[in-house]
Amino acid sequence: MSTDIATNSANLKTSNANVKVAAGEYLTFVLGNEQYGLEILKVQEIRGYDAVTQIANTPDFIKGVVNLRGKIVPIVDLRIKFHLGEVEYNEFTVVIILNLNGRVVGIVVDGVSDVMALKEEQIRDVPSLVTNIDTKYIVGLATVEQQMLILVDIEQLMNSQEMALIDVAVH
Amino acid sequence: MTIDMSQFYEVFFDEAEELLAEAERLLLSIDMENPDTEDLNAIFRAAHSIKGGAATFGFMDMTEITHVLENLLDKIRKNEMALTAEHVDAFLAAKDVLKMELDGHRLTTPVDQEQVADVKMMLKSLSEAGGVVISPAPLAVVSESKPAPVKEVKQSEPKSESAQLDAISVLPADGLSRFNIFLPEITEKDAANLKEELGLLGEVIASKQENGRYVFKLTTDSTQADIVSICSFIVEPEDLVITLAISLSTPVSKTADEPTATGKVDSKPSADSKVAIHEEVGYGLFEDGGKEKEEEGYGFFAPFQPHPDAVQTALIGDDTVATEANSGKIEVVAEVKAETVATTPSETPEKKNLGRRESDKAPANAETSSIRVGVEKVDQLINLVGELVITQAMIEQRISMLDPVQHEPLINSVGQLTRNTRDLQESVMSIRMMPMDFVFSRFPRMVRDLAAKLGKKVEFVTVGAATELDKGLIERIVDPLTHLVRNSVDHGVETPDKRKAAGKSETGVLTLSATHKGGSIVIEVTDDGAGLNRDKLLAKAKANGLAVSENMTDSEVYSLIFAPGFSTAEVVTDVSGRGVGMDVVKRNIAAMNGVVEIRSALGYGTTISISLPLTLAILDGMSVSLGNSLYVVPLNLIVETLQPRAEDIKTVTGEGYMVHVRGEYLPIIALHSLFNQRTNITNPTEGVLVLLEADGKKSALFVDRLVGQQQVVIKSLETNFKKVPGVSGATIMGDGSVALILDVPALIQMGQTPNFLTGSIPFSNHNTQFIQNQAMPKELS
Repeated sequence: MSTDIATNSANLKTSNANVKVAAGEYLTFVLGNEQYGLEILKVQEIRGYDAVTQIANTPDFIKGVVNLRGKIVPIVDLRIKFHLGEVEYNEFTVVIILNLNGRVVGIVVDGVSDVMALKEEQIRDVPSLVTNIDTKYIVGLATVEQQMLILVDIEQLMNSQEMALIDVAVH
Repeated sequence: MTIDMSQFYEVFFDEAEELLAEAERLLLSIDMENPDTEDLNAIFRAAHSIKGGAATFGFMDMTEITHVLENLLDKIRKNEMALTAEHVDAFLAAKDVLKMELDGHRLTTPVDQEQVADVKMMLKSLSEAGGVVISPAPLAVVSESKPAPVKEVKQSEPKSESAQLDAISVLPADGLSRFNIFLPEITEKDAANLKEELGLLGEVIASKQENGRYVFKLTTDSTQADIVSICSFIVEPEDLVITLAISLSTPVSKTADEPTATGKVDSKPSADSKVAIHEEVGYGLFEDGGKEKEEEGYGFFAPFQPHPDAVQTALIGDDTVATEANSGKIEVVAEVKAETVATTPSETPEKKNLGRRESDKAPANAETSSIRVGVEKVDQLINLVGELVITQAMIEQRISMLDPVQHEPLINSVGQLTRNTRDLQESVMSIRMMPMDFVFSRFPRMVRDLAAKLGKKVEFVTVGAATELDKGLIERIVDPLTHLVRNSVDHGVETPDKRKAAGKSETGVLTLSATHKGGSIVIEVTDDGAGLNRDKLLAKAKANGLAVSENMTDSEVYSLIFAPGFSTAEVVTDVSGRGVGMDVVKRNIAAMNGVVEIRSALGYGTTISISLPLTLAILDGMSVSLGNSLYVVPLNLIVETLQPRAEDIKTVTGEGYMVHVRGEYLPIIALHSLFNQRTNITNPTEGVLVLLEADGKKSALFVDRLVGQQQVVIKSLETNFKKVPGVSGATIMGDGSVALILDVPALIQMGQTPNFLTGSIPFSNHNTQFIQNQAMPKELS
């Protein structure tokens, strides 16, 4: 796992330098007032928010685990993680189930908007700034209909230590 | 033992059949020159397992054969004897005889006792001929002008056999001999290659016969085995005929060789002519014996009435190492070769094997009564059925909200579905179950031998051999159990004198029992021996630098023997110290989610009790509620549950709650504070205390309510998430929600503050240190 991450971050660096890699189809979703996009190929399905089973002694943004057709899948609320949007759970709450290299994880977002194909000329580099999300997990920024779309490398983000979703790799 | 063993016959037949097939496969693929020790061991193990099983079920005929087979194999395995072609042939013959006997027991097909006796004798004589490294088979070929009556007569008297062996072993290593090598039909290219290869051994003269076959004349100082092994690259050794034409070098060997040869030739024509007279086809007086020989060697055809061609093939196969200096004989052999139809040169080993298998199977249609399926397929099935049960439970729950009058048909159908699903789940689970007898049957012999070796008298009793356990666990329990049994015989049961002095009967009793207890199976090894000596254990532990105190409970003291490198034996015998210590036993059992416990009384005996879950996939659990969530506690770790009275709750320095249960003070682990979960019940008197015991430590887990007892399918949390402290896994409840399964040993650890029960925590830490530091040999067994 650790080597995976290492190579991924190496890839990421090149992708920051060369935005070409980021072109492709994205699922866009809303967190608070911001539009985000993640690579569509990482999405397994989109479903409503079900009752989760809480897990003791985990950060508050890990809501717990759910039964996804016999698989035990952890659910992360990105709104809590990034302090965005109002955290409430109702029939409109959406969970994006991601399949990250065989590992299934669900993320709670405010809403899912669209699937759009982005060309490389639409994607801009990310300036260095201080945010809740480390800019190394942002692949680029895109402008779609006057709105800024933040493209995240969701796999990197979910595998990161701060998400506390996986055991820290032993070196 | 009062159990009707016949119910397990079928299982034994299947296993034996499987083992025979495996042994045959290994034998056929074995590299004669450089046999893989692992393969030999595997064949040995197969023979051994069949022997054990046969002995258990009282199939003495099979036991006898496997016994002699084992002896011979053991010699080869230990390199006391080189593996030769006849060994392999003999083994295959033995395999066929075993198969015949097996079928005899199973399908009541006739068993040819003469053949059995012959094979036994062959194995015995081979085993006795130990030390002879060269390989010529004690076979002679005598032939008639007609192809059919060609007879191969093996000299069964060990005397003449050894005489011949001697004759050949006299051949000096540097002496030159001329061999005539008769090849089956091969292509020109193969022949050229072979000639080249043989050229490395000596001078080769190739000649082609009228029928298109090649005969090589090789002058060499190599042995016949070398030639066979070289030729075997291109032709099947069975198809090969090699004769020693002249031994050029020493007159000694020549003279030694010739008399034997002539002796044989002299003796046979009369016998064979008799054969010819009696019956044209040659099935005369000697036929039975001769035929048997063939079948022994290449018994693949045994169950059939041998087809003439097949017989010939077999015959020629056996000729491989005929050692006659008789040119007339050579001719005849060549002739027979020419007549052989079955042995086409292109016949590859695979083809042959295929043929053999088919012929093996043909007579026994009963084999279809069981099928072999990969474990992963079964696991997948179990998983899917688990899902089905959950879905069914969900439907049932939805249905229960409907108006029963209006929806009566629907409710009835769902009721039907429920029953069917339950049956389905039960049958699917039973696929993986096997009777414990699979393990137990290995022990009677072992105990007997061991007792004899140690000069002890032991009566071996098994109880509950029919108890079923998951196949995966059955396989893994064998080693630890073997170890425990061996241990009991070695260290537990005393010598007859000592027993007499102690006022016990001279014969010790060793009991191996298996019983179901709640959701687990309990396997116990009990001896009525000397028992464990607490003081001795403590003294030894101190000497070994383990942290011990006089206040430790008996069970804590007894579990000291699980510490690595810890031995209570005063003398290390060759029975103990076979590389696995009690620590390994404990680790193996812990890896199966099992628990080992020792009960002992000095002077009266020891019981080592292993409790194992029935399967690794399913857990018998007690679901408990805490706030608005459910947790599952493994039932086998629950001692009892109780609602404490206020006066039973004690504290130390105002903290560290304890509960007083029947004179014991047990620490209370409040799950809500451990898991930081909100609940309205924070006073133990309002909730429930679940008394848990793991690793010999007891604790009381404080939860809100008991919900119910149920079997749950264990799911890994780590597949998509990570390891959570205090949680060993998750499961899906009837309503589709997820409940976490508590990791009891971890909870007990977590519940203990560093200054609480100091005696036990450092002990376990010490253990690991001990593993790292100790350089002592593991002598405890």
